[in-house]
Amino acid sequence: MEQLLIILVPALPLLSALVNHLAYGQLGRRVARLSVVLAVFTFVVSAVLLAQAMSGNDSNQVALGDTWGILLADPLSTLMGILIAGISLIVRMYSVRYMIEEQGYGRFFMLLDLMTATLLIMVAAGDLLTLIVAWHLVGVLLYFLLGFDSRSKTAYRYAFWTLITYRIGDIALVLAAVLLFHAFGTWTLADIFAGIAENPGAHQYFGFALEELVGVLLAIAAFARSAQFFLHTWLPYSMDGPTPVSALMHAGIVNAGGFLINRFAVVFIHTDSVMHLLFVVGLVTAIIGSILMLMQNDIKKALGYSTMGQMGFMIMECGVGAFSLAIYHLIAHGLFKGTLFLGAGTVINEARKSDGVPKDELYTFVVEHRITKRHQPWLLMAGITLIVPIIILFFAHWLVAQDFFQKQGAIVLLFFGWVTGAQLLFTTYRMGAQNVWRLVGVIVLSFAVIVLGYAAISHAFDLFLYPDPEFSSQISSAASIDIFWFDVLVVLTTAFIVGGWLLKYYSEKNRLFRQEKVGLIWTSFYALVSREFYIMDIYAWLTRRLLTIAGRLNILLRWR
Amino acid sequence: MSELLLLLAGLFLPLFPLSMVFNEVFQRIRVASLRVALLVIWPQIGVALVLAAGIDIPAWVGFWALFTALLYGFRALALREVGLWTGFIATSAWAVLWLVMGSTVEGQAEWFQQASYALALSAPLALLALLGGELEKRFGAAYTGLYGGLALSQPRLSGVLVFVVLAIVATPFSPGFSVMMTAIIESSMHSFFVAVTVAMIWLLWSWAGARLLQGIIVGPAQEKAKADLSINSTWVYVLILILLVVSGIYSIGNLG
Repeated sequence: MEQLLIILVPALPLLSALVNHLAYGQLGRRVARLSVVLAVFTFVVSAVLLAQAMSGNDSNQVALGDTWGILLADPLSTLMGILIAGISLIVRMYSVRYMIEEQGYGRFFMLLDLMTATLLIMVAAGDLLTLIVAWHLVGVLLYFLLGFDSRSKTAYRYAFWTLITYRIGDIALVLAAVLLFHAFGTWTLADIFAGIAENPGAHQYFGFALEELVGVLLAIAAFARSAQFFLHTWLPYSMDGPTPVSALMHAGIVNAGGFLINRFAVVFIHTDSVMHLLFVVGLVTAIIGSILMLMQNDIKKALGYSTMGQMGFMIMECGVGAFSLAIYHLIAHGLFKGTLFLGAGTVINEARKSDGVPKDELYTFVVEHRITKRHQPWLLMAGITLIVPIIILFFAHWLVAQDFFQKQGAIVLLFFGWVTGAQLLFTTYRMGAQNVWRLVGVIVLSFAVIVLGYAAISHAFDLFLYPDPEFSSQISSAASIDIFWFDVLVVLTTAFIVGGWLLKYYSEKNRLFRQEKVGLIWTSFYALVSREFYIMDIYAWLTRRLLTIAGRLNILLRWR
Repeated sequence: MSELLLLLAGLFLPLFPLSMVFNEVFQRIRVASLRVALLVIWPQIGVALVLAAGIDIPAWVGFWALFTALLYGFRALALREVGLWTGFIATSAWAVLWLVMGSTVEGQAEWFQQASYALALSAPLALLALLGGELEKRFGAAYTGLYGGLALSQPRLSGVLVFVVLAIVATPFSPGFSVMMTAIIESSMHSFFVAVTVAMIWLLWSWAGARLLQGIIVGPAQEKAKADLSINSTWVYVLILILLVVSGIYSIGNLG
């Protein structure tokens, strides 16, 4: 019975796509309703599979062929499956009316169905060939979904950027898969993982350990799919596609990088430096994505860069060994980002009539940059800023896992949580609130609820996805660096950040920097950020150069 | 004698600059059906010659083929004429066949496998040659960026064109996908650099394919729409494409 359910999950959207195509002539736009009904069934079946996995049933699988076509029902695939089925259902329900006036209404639903089926196959793939096929097809289908309006050359231009970036990731995945196949003589993931676990580091390729080389290639595949820095330009620019596609892309497709890293966790725990690469790239992406998000005046583009930043955090979490936290993050992000995209149209429409922003103290502080003249006792405020977040964070983590001090990854995430919480409080004191203590109280309470919820849920995810404590500890070890250098880095970063806060406070109090000097630095930085660090310009220039060279070669060789 | 046969094979599984002969012949033929015949038969002669030579392919021939495939894949990026594009991608694809030659079993089965690899790459190109003929019939030229908007004015023709181009660029479920996977599997056993280069060639095909499609199907509908592909012709194309997909699915199962 369970095997039938495993097949039904991707089969239902495939059936929906087929019926959509064949019955559009007779049913017209009513085929969309059929698509929604079958999406509901897909969601229900996915929920049943997840419930079975949560009830402690052993992982199950179905093999449709000898060497490929293996579909898994394990904790990771069922969790990802319900996310995809759920978001896809919402997107289809939304699209029934949203797309009603578009030409190619039936084609749109057929493409959505095919995309859903492909994503579901991708997360359930139990062999490398099925994974590669699905991974590759997601890029192709996304190209046609983003370019759904065939009249728009701009939409196709950016759909093309997406396709090419995804192809770079495809190639990395193919190369990783081929190396694993050479080493173990099979495409089946379970056999490959068993081989690695049994004898890690046994295979060498071109002077590198197999796990190291495969880990780097998988990381590149994840970077391309999850819009990490240098491979991110497709994401914020793919907004010319229909809004439901943006929602599906930002809520579901872009998360594939986190999924891939989790699927190949066995490989990553046997690498020396790949986890650190994930951390650095994720961190840089998170910072740059967040900066660029704040610069945008277009809500959809701002959401695009916000996704980039969030994906950076997700990859960074993987880099510190918090694999299950990354899955929780991608689910939470998928749900809120999908909601934001689907609501973006209404917000824009409302904003045209009235911006709807109350002219309260928050508005005067954030938008008008009016800083309060009243100051609370300095030492008291500094103490609250630095100590309260750290108490909450330590208490929350201690509640779920007493040994978290021994995990560098947990310390790094605590550090980020502390900086965020402290920055929030630090900013609050300068706000012209009527009752600053009430505001601080509300913020501390909200922060405590978020941190406690986050710690508890991520712990539950950890128990579900990685129930073997030894394996969890191997993940933490792979992400760790030498304890001396770790301590040095923590102290230096803390000193840098606290120093920055103090400098900011001191300079504002004593008017340390002259306005014109600061203004010039800000203007230069603004110019750099407004051009998005010139990365898109560089890529466009490179593309033009390559096409020119290809053309000149053709002329030189007389088109033969 | 064997070396001579191998060199002759370089004409039919084109190696640059011998590849210029094929492209010259292909451009001179303007009849679509003759182009189809040329695309199907030409590489088969090459395969037969390689097998008749009966010797291991020297490593330097592999590098020569790799260079040819990369060169023509790269040059295809700047092409706008569908016929030229077909010839260049055919040259690039057939050069890749040199890299999969060492992957097969002896005797009759070897010939069959190599011939089917060549056919897997040629068949979608032959369909594109026919579609190029259809475009020329309607617009006087099969040229990207010249008319555009086919998706709206000729939905059947553009639909078939999309699937044919996807098959040419070795998208999964097309038989070309298995050939490219085999090429990467084979080459990665000897050199990671070669495997990466084969993957780059695959990327170039995707790039060139996307440029071709965007130049033809994207854009506002034409004011005076030409006739679309007839329903019967569409069915013929669809049936051939289904055959290709079935063979593509079957061949994935034989990988490795």
